[in-house]
Amino acid sequence: MDKLIRVNDEPLPWEEKLNINRILELKNYTFKMLVIKVNGKLVKKDQYDKFFIPPGADIKVIHLISGG
Amino acid sequence: MIDITIDNKKITVEEGTTILDAARKLNISIPTLCYRPTVEAYGACRLCVVDINDGKGTRMVTSCNYPIKSTLDINTKSTRVLKTRTMLLELMLSRWPNVNFIKRFAAQYGVTKPRFTHPRVDYSTNACILCGLCVSACSEIMWEDIIGFAGRGEDRRVVMPFEKHYDPCIGCSACANICPTGAIRLVDDPNHPADPQRIARYGTRVSNEVALLDHEQCRMREVGTAHLTEIMNDYDLLPTCNYKFGSHANAGQLASNVFYDNFFTKGVPDGCWLGCSMACAKAVENYQLKTGPYRGQKVLVDGPEYETVAGCGANIGIFNPEFVLECNFYCDTYGIDTISFGTATAFTMECYENGILNKNRTGGLELYFGNEQAAMELLHQMGSGKGFGVIVGQGIRRMKTYFAGTYDLNPEQIRFMQDIGMECKGLEYSEYVTKESLAMQGGYGLALKGAQHDEAWLIFMDMVNNQIPSFADKAEALHYFPMFRTWFGLVGLCKLPWNDIEPADNAETDEPAKVPKHVEGYVNYFSGMTGREIDKKELILMSERVYNFQRVFNFRLGFGTREHDRIPYRSAGPVTDEEYESRAERYDKQLLEKWHWDIKGKSTSQKREYLRKMREKDYQSLCDAVYKRRGWDENGVPTIAKIRELKIDFPDVVAILEKYYRKKPD
Repeated sequence: MDKLIRVNDEPLPWEEKLNINRILELKNYTFKMLVIKVNGKLVKKDQYDKFFIPPGADIKVIHLISGG
Repeated sequence: MIDITIDNKKITVEEGTTILDAARKLNISIPTLCYRPTVEAYGACRLCVVDINDGKGTRMVTSCNYPIKSTLDINTKSTRVLKTRTMLLELMLSRWPNVNFIKRFAAQYGVTKPRFTHPRVDYSTNACILCGLCVSACSEIMWEDIIGFAGRGEDRRVVMPFEKHYDPCIGCSACANICPTGAIRLVDDPNHPADPQRIARYGTRVSNEVALLDHEQCRMREVGTAHLTEIMNDYDLLPTCNYKFGSHANAGQLASNVFYDNFFTKGVPDGCWLGCSMACAKAVENYQLKTGPYRGQKVLVDGPEYETVAGCGANIGIFNPEFVLECNFYCDTYGIDTISFGTATAFTMECYENGILNKNRTGGLELYFGNEQAAMELLHQMGSGKGFGVIVGQGIRRMKTYFAGTYDLNPEQIRFMQDIGMECKGLEYSEYVTKESLAMQGGYGLALKGAQHDEAWLIFMDMVNNQIPSFADKAEALHYFPMFRTWFGLVGLCKLPWNDIEPADNAETDEPAKVPKHVEGYVNYFSGMTGREIDKKELILMSERVYNFQRVFNFRLGFGTREHDRIPYRSAGPVTDEEYESRAERYDKQLLEKWHWDIKGKSTSQKREYLRKMREKDYQSLCDAVYKRRGWDENGVPTIAKIRELKIDFPDVVAILEKYYRKKPD
């Protein structure tokens, strides 16, 4: 059975060496003002390529508001 | 990545990192006087000198502006370095003996009394030490060149042109705020704030954030809100062909880099609000018009910003940046709102493609999506009060009535017009696709002025983040954000510096979507200006009073009750089979998972109709929740208890509301 993670409450297959940048790419999250938490813990921008997602992780990619 | 050593400590840094930044990462202190991260370092004071050895020999460089490009061995405390800094400080102290922080720095290097007296000694405690930060702030942060250096050597000094008062200076105070000695001070503030220092303190924070962070956040200084075009397209939110779709293969032709690379005037203040470092209102100079009464003339186009790109571009199926510029110019010249023009034209185009309009009815205009010539001719007709433009110029609400009353339309066509006419309370929708965000449908439908997003923009919170799943969550957002954003209108401040730039540590706050540190800033601007202490709760209360007054005005103008908060179905879901099928996987999944409705064997039309039933029901439930949260009754009327709580229960207000209560209030 594939291992899953959840990104903003939606399931996504887990893969080896899955980092934050890869998640943003898979979800096509191109907006820059993000707050990202993995299992409730904040991951800072300079860690997006170094932080590897564990299987079963609950990830929140909070898009802030801008424009208008 | 490059390996270096600083004072025998090893560190790996990215190429281009300055020695000063690398040293700070190792907690190695290097003195600086003219360095600020918000402006470009230029090594004027030379206090930050260090010795570097690149394997070929040792030399002294200024660390603040030396980018690391190869392996280096750096010594920040060599005898030569310390001697150089000591001499520099002795020279400075000889010229400015009473400037506190020079005295302090000099004392750290054992200099308390210089051995000589400078011929131009200045005994002032607020002497200008020629660090140049003011000149850099004016030029780099404000994009002005009000002040600069004149003279050389001992005669070097900061001046305005010809050493006279220079009218373009509006006293933005960027120079005064960055000046380390107080040599520049704002002496005449016509607004007479109660506490100018308090306002400067919080205002400078935002200016610093813009200088340091904007390039990696929204790029407002480069492209303004036009950066949203590609973002909205990526998230399926860019209205395309009258909001049928949220993205288009050609959207890249309208992306912000197209305007930046080919059109925008760069590096000058925008004139929107002098002294605003965000400077997000963009302009295009020397644009040569192709049509209309000014054809052939070169003009300045004030924009475009995102709404204009989306409204006068994607939403009418046109992906030509020059068309958007032409529209932008003529809308401004004729006094026509670009959003209303775009949305109303998109409506007529869909009517044209569906047989509600034809060449006879439009006076020969072939208004299919993407027809640049017809759209531009329509704009000129609207501006000159001629032809079909006279009808379109009245807006979608009146067009619907006019078409239904004038042409031989069947009930299905009339219903179709109601579904695709993107207006609420008579105001055309601004440029966001709201089908997948119930909260944003409420953001438009429950906005008091009509379908505008400036009360609440909740699409990311709702649709992308899934942060506000319940009706109560959405209602809370549709209470807080409209109240907060109304406050900008009350005090006459721009909303953009609230959340189009964010503090570096905003992510670490409890409620990043509210940008708590900027809310704190607004509280302090208010108190600093008026001398009256408030807190963030009172800020919301101020708005809530006015917001409820505005609702009362809605009633006076005939728009207050529930039926006027209804939205066209295009705002809530797919009107046509074509739309449903374009996102069939999404809608099918929702029918199955959210509403547990068996889609097997069902036609697209059947699925679309069921989806509609569910989504329209959800919208009404949202209205119930929002009315309750706002203290309004089930018909959207502020209750007597609410207006009493807000202390706005004046007899004439009560008299208006009483006409609308279905049940007599207790």
